[in-house]
Amino acid sequence: MSAPTKADISAGVSAALPVMMGYVAIGIPCGVMAAEVGLSPAVAFLLSATFYSGAGQFMMASLALAGTPVASMVASVALVSTRQLLYSAALSPYVREAPRPLAALFAATVTDESFGVNMERFAAGAWSPTRATVVNVASMLSWASANALGALVGPALAIPADIMSFAMTAIFICLLSGQRWSRVTLVVAATSAASVVALKLLGAGSLSVLLGAVAGVAAGLVAGLPGRGRGEGR
Amino acid sequence: MSSSDFLVFYVCVLAVILACRCVPLLALGGRELSPRVSEALGLIPAAAFAALVANDLFDPATAPNVPALLAALAVLVVARRTGSLIWCALVGMGAYALLCLAA
Repeated sequence: MSAPTKADISAGVSAALPVMMGYVAIGIPCGVMAAEVGLSPAVAFLLSATFYSGAGQFMMASLALAGTPVASMVASVALVSTRQLLYSAALSPYVREAPRPLAALFAATVTDESFGVNMERFAAGAWSPTRATVVNVASMLSWASANALGALVGPALAIPADIMSFAMTAIFICLLSGQRWSRVTLVVAATSAASVVALKLLGAGSLSVLLGAVAGVAAGLVAGLPGRGRGEGR
Repeated sequence: MSSSDFLVFYVCVLAVILACRCVPLLALGGRELSPRVSEALGLIPAAAFAALVANDLFDPATAPNVPALLAALAVLVVARRTGSLIWCALVGMGAYALLCLAA
């Protein structure tokens, strides 16, 4: 695996910057919660660098504080990570030519936000697996550092977590709005959103996002059927 | 949570997270994909972001979160006008904080 060039690092970090800022905003309250569970700043850093999952880590802390048994905690936090299966599949065509260690590092560091940033650039054509991995690793370091900082200052810092976490919602809205919109895209987005609400109502909990997104993709495939030849690419 | 409980939790969850992140990418990596599979993969971003937005904004168990919905509309306007993630994040947090104070 060749080292990234200065140009790769500069392009990757500049693409990652909005995500890194969002991760600092949300990582600090996440670290504060980790401290409340009893994690030291070093463990919070390690956990954040390896799990690298905002939803999973917030969930871990709130379940641990509620005294949930370990088996239930594992199941709940693992379930919120299942949507990563979709991202991993969607990104695979773009790293086909990359060396396997680079592809593995890239795959292990994908998040909702870095997926959006990299997909936009891969789809535009001027992006490489190395730069995409720089985006992922830079974002991961900002997330892990913010968590360690949060664990260090601990509950002394009273930040309303729901306001901080709205940064992530805003980033998702921006990434959604930046999609190439067509009739099929509308069907996909509307079905996904409606399915998530319905699934939450039915009690699907952590699985709602994954199942809702799968329902959206299925609806999009059906909506795209008329007038499309089987040999036609996307 | 005891240290041993934490260790069990950490190892189990990390194994699942790494499998979800790496297995599809590495398993599909070298193969030519059929047009239908490629089409399905191309629909994933819109599906995933719509699902994440809906998950954040709507909870059928509680009353509608009006400040969050209004702040989301403000973010949408900024997103359409600027396409900037930073501006969207800043406007989103600011609008949500102000609307919560006003509510």
